[in-house]
Amino acid sequence: MAIDRKKIIDDMSKIEVLGGENGMIEAFNVYVNQLPTSFWNSFAERLTAKAHPDLLPTTESLLVNAAQECGYHTGYGIITSEEWNAAVKPMVECVEDVLHGAFAVFTAWGWAQAEIVELVPGEKMVVRAYDYYEADVTKHGKTDKMSAYMIRGVCAAFMALAYSGDYSNSGDKVNDFMCEQIRGIECGDDYGEFIVKKAA
Amino acid sequence: MAEFLKTKLGIDHKFNPNSKRHFLNKTQSVYHCHHYSTLYTQLAIDAGETELLANASEDSIHEVLSKYFRENNITDIDERVQISCKYYSAMGLGTLDVQFMGNDSGKVVSKSSHLEEGWIKKWKKFDQSVNYIGCGYVSALLAAVLDKPAGTYKTFESASIVKGDPHTVFNSYKK
Repeated sequence: MAIDRKKIIDDMSKIEVLGGENGMIEAFNVYVNQLPTSFWNSFAERLTAKAHPDLLPTTESLLVNAAQECGYHTGYGIITSEEWNAAVKPMVECVEDVLHGAFAVFTAWGWAQAEIVELVPGEKMVVRAYDYYEADVTKHGKTDKMSAYMIRGVCAAFMALAYSGDYSNSGDKVNDFMCEQIRGIECGDDYGEFIVKKAA
Repeated sequence: MAEFLKTKLGIDHKFNPNSKRHFLNKTQSVYHCHHYSTLYTQLAIDAGETELLANASEDSIHEVLSKYFRENNITDIDERVQISCKYYSAMGLGTLDVQFMGNDSGKVVSKSSHLEEGWIKKWKKFDQSVNYIGCGYVSALLAAVLDKPAGTYKTFESASIVKGDPHTVFNSYKK
């Protein structure tokens, strides 16, 4: 593999974005915001904590879907950006390199310190996250509810970007893959682990 | 007015190379896009939990603004207002212009909006207001500026870019 993960993280983490004259950050063909992680965690945790057990799976799937659309569209914006072309593209030799590079950017942007530990092209991907803000929902003890909805969505989206053919602006390929979280720091595990497979 | 224009917001952005986390003025932050923020909003609307979304925004922003005022020893109300509006823009949320505020109410105009322009970009215009994240921000702004706790004010939109109005207008009142 030609991808220099450390260099990508070093380069991409230095990109600073602040709102312009109109208070908007336009980058990677999307509008970007930089809100506190506490906001995202608060909404997701309060929503899921108060959900009736019968409605919890649906609620969680909608949180995952938000990240999946974000990951698909913003992910495409990233891997076609000038920044990507300068920092990552010279290292890319195959589609798997694109995925490894995307997870380096994922890490550099503060979404999670995550990397691919197993990849069966087009079929399966296993990702481990050694630190991620969604685990901050616990301050003491451990929860039995895996809470990394954002990571789940983005992992599934990156697989679709890699293996579902040309990018679809309409988003009809966003849900070609699905991701399950099987370990979580918030649940007392040493790291979060995520398995992506083709959607049924 | 000249003093207003001199008011500067200091943004200290740090990336922790060990945890790989980003911090703006010592508050952990993360880049996300309008797809994420609009889908969270759509989810809140569908679930009937728009107040929960506004409250989550208010709680987190109140902490950010209060900490900034405290650590930079900013006590002047006008200066606090200017800083709060600039913070909104620095976060990429758009613009805010506080028309007035007092202990019991306030009116804030937004001519540019991440959430609403993002919504229009994703789905086109909508027949109801959607900027609950902005409502939470404005409630937090009023409370932090006046040294009151989060939860003191409630904010709603009386005009909205996403509905086709030229500006979004946030109206706040003390609960």
